[in-house]
Amino acid sequence: MLFNTTQFLVFLVVVLALFYGLPKSLRKYLLLAASYYFYATWNVKFLALLLTLTAIDYASGLWLERVPAGRRRKAVLIFSLAANLGFLGFFKYYNFLAGNLALGLGRPSNSFLLDIVLPLGISFHTFQSMSYVVDVYRGQQRAVRNPVDYALFICFFPQLVAGPIVRARDFFRDLWAWQPPTSAEVSRGIFLIVLGLTKKMAFADQFAKVANGYFGGAAAHPGAPAALSGIFAFALQIYFDFSGYTDMAIGMAKLLGFHFPINFRRPYLAASITDFWRRWHISLSSWLRDYLYIPLGGSRGGNLATYRNLMLTMLLGGLWHGASWNFLIWGGYQGVLLSIERLIRGDRPTSDVWDWSYPPRALLTFCLALIGWVFFRAADLHQSRQVLGQMFAGGQGALLLEPWHFGLAGLALILSIGEERWEWFERAARAPVPVYAAALAAMLFCLETFAVLDAAIPFIYFQF
Amino acid sequence: MWLPCMQPRRGRALWGLVFGLAGLFSLDAAIFRSGLYTSILEPESSAGTFELILRRERNAQPWYGKNLVVTLGDSRFAYYPRVANEHTAETGLAFRQAGVAGTDARTWYYMLRDLDPTHDRYKAVVIGVDDYDDEDGAYDIGDDLATLHYVAGRLRWTDVAPFTLSFSDPAARFQALRGSLFKGTVFQRDLLAFLSHPQKRLANVEFVNGGYEEWTYGYHETTQNVVGLKIDWERFTAEFPPGNDQLRDEVARFILYRPYPQTGRRAAFRRKWFGQLLDYYSGSPTMVVFVRLPRGPQPRPENLVRKVTHTIRDFGARPGVVLANEHAFESLEHPELFRDGFHLNDEGCTRLSEMLAREISGLLK
Repeated sequence: MLFNTTQFLVFLVVVLALFYGLPKSLRKYLLLAASYYFYATWNVKFLALLLTLTAIDYASGLWLERVPAGRRRKAVLIFSLAANLGFLGFFKYYNFLAGNLALGLGRPSNSFLLDIVLPLGISFHTFQSMSYVVDVYRGQQRAVRNPVDYALFICFFPQLVAGPIVRARDFFRDLWAWQPPTSAEVSRGIFLIVLGLTKKMAFADQFAKVANGYFGGAAAHPGAPAALSGIFAFALQIYFDFSGYTDMAIGMAKLLGFHFPINFRRPYLAASITDFWRRWHISLSSWLRDYLYIPLGGSRGGNLATYRNLMLTMLLGGLWHGASWNFLIWGGYQGVLLSIERLIRGDRPTSDVWDWSYPPRALLTFCLALIGWVFFRAADLHQSRQVLGQMFAGGQGALLLEPWHFGLAGLALILSIGEERWEWFERAARAPVPVYAAALAAMLFCLETFAVLDAAIPFIYFQF
Repeated sequence: MWLPCMQPRRGRALWGLVFGLAGLFSLDAAIFRSGLYTSILEPESSAGTFELILRRERNAQPWYGKNLVVTLGDSRFAYYPRVANEHTAETGLAFRQAGVAGTDARTWYYMLRDLDPTHDRYKAVVIGVDDYDDEDGAYDIGDDLATLHYVAGRLRWTDVAPFTLSFSDPAARFQALRGSLFKGTVFQRDLLAFLSHPQKRLANVEFVNGGYEEWTYGYHETTQNVVGLKIDWERFTAEFPPGNDQLRDEVARFILYRPYPQTGRRAAFRRKWFGQLLDYYSGSPTMVVFVRLPRGPQPRPENLVRKVTHTIRDFGARPGVVLANEHAFESLEHPELFRDGFHLNDEGCTRLSEMLAREISGLLK
């Protein structure tokens, strides 16, 4: 059940109606049932996996609180992390490792492969669950007593399949001290849902057609213009797709009285790669920072240790997205860029001053991001090499983008700058009714005229 | 700080949503229902062709008096109004053509409604059909969404429910509802093409508007024919003139078929839409005339045609409705007068034009 379908709209309306129609004490049960139903519509079999992981981490949390600090406590933590990573590893990485092992042994690459279907959203809910257990272990979070509360934290439908990755303390603060959303929050929630839908259906899906057309048969589209069209389209697709999803998730949560963290802050306006990662998939970046980079030592152990930690964090961040050499290279590429940037910048903070140097720096960052997206989007290493070859030495060919695509991209750029500098969207969401309504009307009209309506293009991050 | 922020009030979200939706409908109406966008549709698109023909015929109405006859049909109703009008002195009638290739009764209803809002601009409306009896074919014409793409520019708010409900398949109904409510969804591809090359489009529209009357009314069909086509209806095999692969494909797909199960859907569709069209002219001075068009270079034999109901014949009993002799144009059903399996060639069109003028004149006297 994709967010951008009529089926989901009906589901959401029914859930909202029931939620506010039921007594407060029953609402979380409704949300839990609705979330499991939502997940079951994808594949009912994976509910068992979700329930198992939920049970393990719920029990681990309680257990951790009872066990005094020491080796036993650490053992409980390791048990929980091993269970999460074990499931994640099996479903997500088994075939990758088995294929490479077979190649290493000189056997056909499919010798040890299994027919594994990746459970939807497994990377998101395992990371969310692991962060809870680590927080309890660190004493930063009290163990949750009520299993329903914990189950809801793991499977809450707006963010179950593609985040944002919510921290336990934020979620339980909202759940345990639930307050009905204010009028401003409802307005903002509706605004974000419409904005997210517009980003997804009118922008992401239109660029998806170009990107999918190119990457579906890069050999059939020779030349640098085609390759640049394909990767430029993908860059816009993935941003609008994922940030659109996140906007809808945040908006829906707001309507239900929950507050999700922001996940994107106009990443293509970043003036450095460091800045980019502070703006892109923020909930994952901050998760990696808090649960991987800092525990590894962060920047406390000198330059070489910092570069190593950056590389390790980004390599694992790449692998989190998927089991392939491409994602590993993508992560490594980001790690190298971050290290180089740190080498050049030293300990000085990144500059985000809008001066004359900002546009060229932002353009350079965007171009570097584009190169990275080649590895992210290409089917395999062979195609990555092929696309990069076409981008940099492809010669003449046909542009796959129509002039209106550039118009759409230009509009997006203007709106992004408007939001970055003057908070246009924020202000419109809080503005008096006529302005608020005009903004909604403009987005809905954009949906009417640009949305891809008859081809359900899945959200990219649903595959992770 | 370009926007003043105010304290949120209760109901603000609801009012914002209501006014936001109102704004959406207003924008849709201002652009797609006002004639603004329909005047610059791509002339070769379904809706663009429909609008061009509608405009052309509206513009032509003042040139004629009370003797104007308009014909409606799909591409099979190909004739030359200029040839028919060479006989005006004899017939007393002037023929105009408002048919659109690929359309059906539902489309013709919306065409006539906007072409003749006063119900009296024509002496007669002549509708070309393939048969007076109803035979269900391979697909349900009632669920053909192509109609939406022809008439999108003509649908009014009051049409939303009846137009939507005229489709029976739920998916088609949903698309019809969406398209009739939000016309931007129907014109999306056209709009994107326009936004890509706006000046080129505007120049093309102006060019086509300027020459459309002359090109279409001065048009000559090809002289190509399908002599050599022989169909053995016993064995369901055919011989083709050499090198005509298109004909081979067409005959295999659309002509050499065994009768389909008769569901009555075609009859229901004809009853609804021709009925609505006849109701539109009920009590008006305009006559509605049905003619059976030449069916093909080698029509299906009677034993292969399933005739369960007879909608058009039944309509013949209504006042103001006339049925032309159904055998009137059978003499044209020969391979030398057809350019393919369905359409008349130049010679066929010329002959049909003359015969049509005389047939209609005889019926209206």
